[in-house]
Amino acid sequence: MKRRLVVILLASVLVLSLIAGCSGGSQQQAAPKEEPKPQTIKIGAILPLTGSAASTGVKLKYAIEVAQEIINNPHPEINLPLAKDAGLPNLKGAKVEFVFADHQANPEVAKSEAERLIQNEKVVGLIGCYHSSATKPASQVAERFQIPFVAGSSSSAALTERGLKWFTRIAPNDDMETKFFFDYLKYLNEKFNAGIKTVAVVYIDNEYGVHAFQMVDKWIKEYEKDGFKVVLDVKYPTNVSNVDTEVQKIKQAKPDAIFHASYIGDMTQFVKKYKELGVVPKAVLCYCGGFQDPQFVVNLGKDADYFSGSNACTSTLFGKMDALNKINELYKKKSGVDIDGPTLEDFASAMVIADAINQAGSTDPNKILDALKTKTFDAPYFVSGKIKFGPTGQNDFSASVMVQLQNGKYEAVWPEQFKTADPKPAFPKWEAR
Amino acid sequence: MLAQVIASGILMGFIYALVAIGLTLTWGVMDIINFAHGEFLMLSMYSAFWMYTLFRTDPLLSLPLEALLIFVLGYVTYKIVIKRVADAPGLTALLATFGLSLVLRNLAQFLWTPNYRFLNQTLVTDKKLAFAGIVLGLPQVVASVGSVIMTLAVFYFVQRTRMGRAIQATALDKATAKLMGINTELVYGVTFGLSGACVGVAGALMSTFYPIHPESGALYSLLAFVIVALGGFGNIKGALQGGIIIGLAEALGGYFLGTQFKYAIVFLIYLLVIQLRPQGLFGW
Repeated sequence: MKRRLVVILLASVLVLSLIAGCSGGSQQQAAPKEEPKPQTIKIGAILPLTGSAASTGVKLKYAIEVAQEIINNPHPEINLPLAKDAGLPNLKGAKVEFVFADHQANPEVAKSEAERLIQNEKVVGLIGCYHSSATKPASQVAERFQIPFVAGSSSSAALTERGLKWFTRIAPNDDMETKFFFDYLKYLNEKFNAGIKTVAVVYIDNEYGVHAFQMVDKWIKEYEKDGFKVVLDVKYPTNVSNVDTEVQKIKQAKPDAIFHASYIGDMTQFVKKYKELGVVPKAVLCYCGGFQDPQFVVNLGKDADYFSGSNACTSTLFGKMDALNKINELYKKKSGVDIDGPTLEDFASAMVIADAINQAGSTDPNKILDALKTKTFDAPYFVSGKIKFGPTGQNDFSASVMVQLQNGKYEAVWPEQFKTADPKPAFPKWEAR
Repeated sequence: MLAQVIASGILMGFIYALVAIGLTLTWGVMDIINFAHGEFLMLSMYSAFWMYTLFRTDPLLSLPLEALLIFVLGYVTYKIVIKRVADAPGLTALLATFGLSLVLRNLAQFLWTPNYRFLNQTLVTDKKLAFAGIVLGLPQVVASVGSVIMTLAVFYFVQRTRMGRAIQATALDKATAKLMGINTELVYGVTFGLSGACVGVAGALMSTFYPIHPESGALYSLLAFVIVALGGFGNIKGALQGGIIIGLAEALGGYFLGTQFKYAIVFLIYLLVIQLRPQGLFGW
């Protein structure tokens, strides 16, 4: 009997700890507690610094630290708003401090951290949270306290469909991404005669994945007339020990194209299995997630080639865009790798909220919100060049490029005006790589 | 197709079993639940990774080293952490290992970054066996075979050797074993070490196909708890059978009901078993 109790207790603790990412509260301490100086403006950044997405979270933190560095110190060499002078010019050179909090990929924690940042740290704005599932509750807290929230890379379209007043988002949402994917497939069919008809959707069982699938379900009605058909959807648990069954189902369905909503760990396992079981689709298009993480190439080498995805940024664009290149130099010093799309989007969220505070000339949340909703922000690091939030809080200028890995490089392949290489519209046999 | 699903389910089952055997040893012999078991697995995978990256030693060749390393880690953990709390109320030891697991996991993240890492050019990478329409990745096949061999070795050790009999005696009745002249301190230390050696081997074998990161061990150790409950505490054969059941349940359940439910099915089995047969399917 005692054992049985222990087993039950144990199971619940284990399950809880697994759900929580179990990373043992390495809560990010805010900078040493000192008397808050009036000229330091605090902004909260809630990120997955531990837990299953910690590798990404740490990079986002570096990018936001770069933004802080650019804002607080004079960087006349970078052609960016706020780079030239130290601090925010309209607030007498006030410095910006990003206070980091860790949500451990857990929506509950994201919510309580948002409350803590607003109530205890007195932040004037929030950014984050990478996971759409964490951004959702955190931004609801911001709404309740009437604090502006600027989301960088969270891409679930549902976030901007909630009618929140205090929420804005930089990344293109998965609604826009899905349409972008189908348009790209159409382009491949028309221009390269790729013959892509059947589509499988492979997605992780959380807000991000499930919503991506719903968007495919919505858009396919529009694109059925172009001959596209969804033949399979595979939903898999957020934590997987193997993806054997998943890939066997995909192999059986033989789709021409696969849409992937996956993070880096699971995505890599999928690619390994595709190779093992000889799955050769014509195109694999990845929603903003694991594919965009440069570690994808490090881990898979040649096997990473031919995969595609939408991205806000790719290293092949550095040569074309000076501001992006300079930001990347600062970022690379900290992280050791090139900046990637989601990271750039979170960098942008840090720059934009500081820019909004500066343009508002005040830390009054209402004035900041007003600036966010009415001004157009310069963003020379994006191919779109600017950021402007629409009535729902969605950035109207979300210009993504389709990138494809070719010889280990993320090449921009579509739309044509940004392309750095031609798309390759079919996977070769795995042995022929 | 079905044959393929069953085959990969069984392969995974063997690997789960080896992780579970390590757990069942400490649980059965010492009545101590080692929450840091998954972290031992993770550390073994990292040591295989570093042996490969720094010294170009294939995980299959460095395997004895990992086994030894985690054996020592287990032994030291017993001496430093467990021994002090062994006589305290039951939950104390459990919490101590829980604390240890957090320390190890965060230490790994601190030292080696939370990046997902893969070993790309091991002896078995990208090779596969194909017969009768079934394709099996060589990494998984080797890992399963290795798991079975290690399982048999542990079984033999516990059943046949002098130390193994001492372990069994201590598991039955510590006080009497001590009176009979068995060095129970040593037995406990060795049991913990042996438990570590099991995940040491498992980690080295898994490093050829599973991403290596600070949370690598978490899901495997969770499944190991289920398997131990299924197979009976301290029951090595039971853990092997339990592992296969879980591997199959995951693969078949995922195939027929949808992959999003594959762990739900595993934990449903677990709930049913502890309700109906709390001593485990194969427990005494």
